Amino acid sequence: MIQSTLIKELRELLRDGRVRISFLIVLLLIAVATWISKTQYTITNQQYQQADNEERAVWENQGEKNPHSAAHYGTYAFKPKYPLSLVDQGVDKFTGTSIFLEAHKRNEAQFSKAADQTGLARFGDLTPDFVLLFIIPLLIVFLGYNAFTKEREMGTLVLLKSQGTPIWKLIFGKWLALFLPVFTIVFLLFIVAGIVLTNLENYGVFNWDSLGMLFLVYMGYYIIFINMVLFISLKLKKSGIALVVALATWILACLAVPKAASNIAESKHPYPTRQEFASNILQDQKEGLDGHDPWNKQAKLLEKKVLQEYKVDSLEQLPFNFDAYRMQKGEEHTAEIYLKHYKHLKTQFEEQSKLYRGLAVLSPFLPARFMSMAIANTDYATHWHFADAAENYRVELQAFLNGNFAENSAYGEWSYRANADTWKNMPQFGYDPPELGETLATNTSNLVILSVWVLGTFLLLFFTTKKL
Amino acid sequence: MYQFNFKYELKSLLRNGWIQLMTLLLLGLFLFAFYNGNEKVDKRKNDIQAAFNEVKESDQNMLLLLDSVQRGVEVSASRWTIPTKPMAVGNYHPRVAAMNPGPLAFVATGQSDLFSHYIKPKASGDDMALNFTEISNPVQQLFGSFDLAFVIIYLLPLIIIAFTYNVLSSEKESGTLRLLASQPISMRSWVLQKMGIRLFWVVLMIGVVLILVSVIIPSGVNIGELLPVSGVTLGYIFFWFALAFAVNLWVGSSSKNAIALIGLWLVFVLLIPSVLNQMGNALYPMPSRTLMINEMRSAKAEATKKQDQILDNFLRDHPEYAINDPNQNRSFYHRYMASQQLVREELQPVVGRFERQLQNQQQWISQLKWVSPAIIVQQELNALAGSSTKDYENYRKQVTAFAESWRQHLLPFLYNNKPFSTDDYENLPEFQYQRLTSDTTLISIIALVLIALIGVILGFLKGIGSQSTEKFITQ
Repeated sequence: MIQSTLIKELRELLRDGRVRISFLIVLLLIAVATWISKTQYTITNQQYQQADNEERAVWENQGEKNPHSAAHYGTYAFKPKYPLSLVDQGVDKFTGTSIFLEAHKRNEAQFSKAADQTGLARFGDLTPDFVLLFIIPLLIVFLGYNAFTKEREMGTLVLLKSQGTPIWKLIFGKWLALFLPVFTIVFLLFIVAGIVLTNLENYGVFNWDSLGMLFLVYMGYYIIFINMVLFISLKLKKSGIALVVALATWILACLAVPKAASNIAESKHPYPTRQEFASNILQDQKEGLDGHDPWNKQAKLLEKKVLQEYKVDSLEQLPFNFDAYRMQKGEEHTAEIYLKHYKHLKTQFEEQSKLYRGLAVLSPFLPARFMSMAIANTDYATHWHFADAAENYRVELQAFLNGNFAENSAYGEWSYRANADTWKNMPQFGYDPPELGETLATNTSNLVILSVWVLGTFLLLFFTTKKL
Repeated sequence: MYQFNFKYELKSLLRNGWIQLMTLLLLGLFLFAFYNGNEKVDKRKNDIQAAFNEVKESDQNMLLLLDSVQRGVEVSASRWTIPTKPMAVGNYHPRVAAMNPGPLAFVATGQSDLFSHYIKPKASGDDMALNFTEISNPVQQLFGSFDLAFVIIYLLPLIIIAFTYNVLSSEKESGTLRLLASQPISMRSWVLQKMGIRLFWVVLMIGVVLILVSVIIPSGVNIGELLPVSGVTLGYIFFWFALAFAVNLWVGSSSKNAIALIGLWLVFVLLIPSVLNQMGNALYPMPSRTLMINEMRSAKAEATKKQDQILDNFLRDHPEYAINDPNQNRSFYHRYMASQQLVREELQPVVGRFERQLQNQQQWISQLKWVSPAIIVQQELNALAGSSTKDYENYRKQVTAFAESWRQHLLPFLYNNKPFSTDDYENLPEFQYQRLTSDTTLISIIALVLIALIGVILGFLKGIGSQSTEKFITQ
């Protein structure tokens, strides 16, 4: 019976002109979106390579210079684009791509793509994740809204009842008839994406595991929609009403709840404004971390301590340049202040994430969206990971420069110039995004929520209906 | 017949709970959207106020310091922060350049979640370092805000679709169409009447809800100021009703109508905007910001190498500063400010490229926005709320100009080696944001109505094509 229901449903779908057109449109959209994404990916990566190389050349060819001038001159950390951004662009467009690394200051990533776009871009971009997250669930609604209501309306329900087959078999047949076409389209898309990615030059950290995991997440997401749409069709009497209710569910899950969640998250756990953030840091710098021991006081203590340690009575007698040494200690102090304030931002971010997870009860879109971005390394957590790596590099860079200054010059010798080869000795900044295992470990709650949704809707579909 | 129709429709709409449901739904949506919009505006106002207060406080300190120095009292502040030095004033006591929200700011978040609403430009900072973007969780920006614009552009059409998709088909499906066909009224005017009644209800309910919501959540806007927003919304509602009218006459069963209407919604609200945006990007591609960094770096490196020479050239171009140039007294800032000036001039074309491409894209959208009413409404609401791309571009320009006048105000002190004093405090320039006004509102409304009329005419064409009601029934 399952098989014959499946065959009948598939045949019906194939005969329906609307279904053929919707399928064609979805395929076309996917093709165009993938092509656009691929072109963008290639261009962005080329620019990234070029910028990275040129910046390194600028850094290495500074010539003779005081190391502290070099520290102010600074360098840039560029964020690479990850292969799976081909499937999900995530928040990439809203985060900056380059961080200026200089002395005394931790900078934010600059130049987000969204800031260089017009308001029209806020409608959304034609990318594969747009099709995967919004359009395919809509396709499921269109394919499945009348799965049961049409039997009722055409009177074939009576015939079906007379067959005496268990209801679950009937439901499962219809379920398969919806699942198989969706599975096929998405499977094809992922295979094509995989092939495109492996054929790109220096495709970096792409691996099939992540792509496979991403596929599973989307399948889970679609199963939830299939279950919900079939459930609605099972419970309602008229096709028209079933369609409206199924659409309302789609709007709620994909549009309304995420937007409402964004407002609630923003107002419950707000970030400081950029200027506030900067002035809080300035405050701590002036008055010392958390209001005790401002840096100039600490510096005096440091002076005493170092003199005692080396058993000398003036800074000139020290075997290294105390100016540079103090500067390094100051740098470490500032880094701590920054760490504190960024920790605060991170707490706000985690609170907001918790809120999103809480609201995922209302919408399966949220956990699917977050999982998808996380696996594609285009989520906000990956951006933090990158920003933290850049900050670590900045701290290392300052230590390297101040160390060079301290070792090779005497106290007060600000005219010291490090030789032109010095800069090459600092290794280049490199960044590796988190591995799949790590990402899954930090996102277990989203995975659990998604699984609960899948199981819950299955239970709802198969165990709440005793008779048709 | 008309009166009868009206009464019957009202009764049936009330009985099956449509009107009650709609009113509650609209009330809930508008209330939530108003609340969200207001909250954002309040936060913005408070942030700006806090920034002004902070400056006021630091100004008091500055005046005290100045006073002490002028009276020859020893002060404890670091040497380079003492405000008798013009560059200390310029860098440690910047003014707030704020973009205050307009009265309609709560209507549309637009681009406002991307950008800062107040900046404190420093004298020595270069314009490139002025960061106009706001720090925030990008997830919020990705999901967008649940504001009035979202309710109007995305949800209102769906509510209208749910309200109208089966106006004709339900009569056909329940068999009452045959009875109606016996009445002395033509099919299209009968459908038009039914649509008119629904349109009337939707407009009435929105009106009532708007008044209710503005009573519940006072946003400080009077109804008159809301008029342009209401006009645009009405035009948009009219468009979707016209579309539903045409679809009702052209397509067939309830489900087919619903799918056709949702398909059109998808096309107008999601697909056309993203395709136009994509095309705009392809036609006027933004140059790479990462490559711009390279250019900026080399320009700065060049300037640093030649700072002394640059200062000489600068003084040659500005003899007014050269009069009392005591060569021995050249400080870091004398050289630095002169070379910054040069770097700014050199980078002007590089930075200008971005602004120009953005303007080109904006131009492209204004030409093609007529393709989708959703874009017309989005652009118009953003413009009315003062949160459009143009508004932020305007703000950026004003801040850059202000940064320049801030510098120019302090440069004479620097190059004439004149100390800054308490008397000079009064004359410090202040920033005043000049808001743009939208002059396209009327055109947009007219355009929406015209597009809607096309829909109505399309519906009538079907009516003419099949004169007899028989066709509708047997279809």
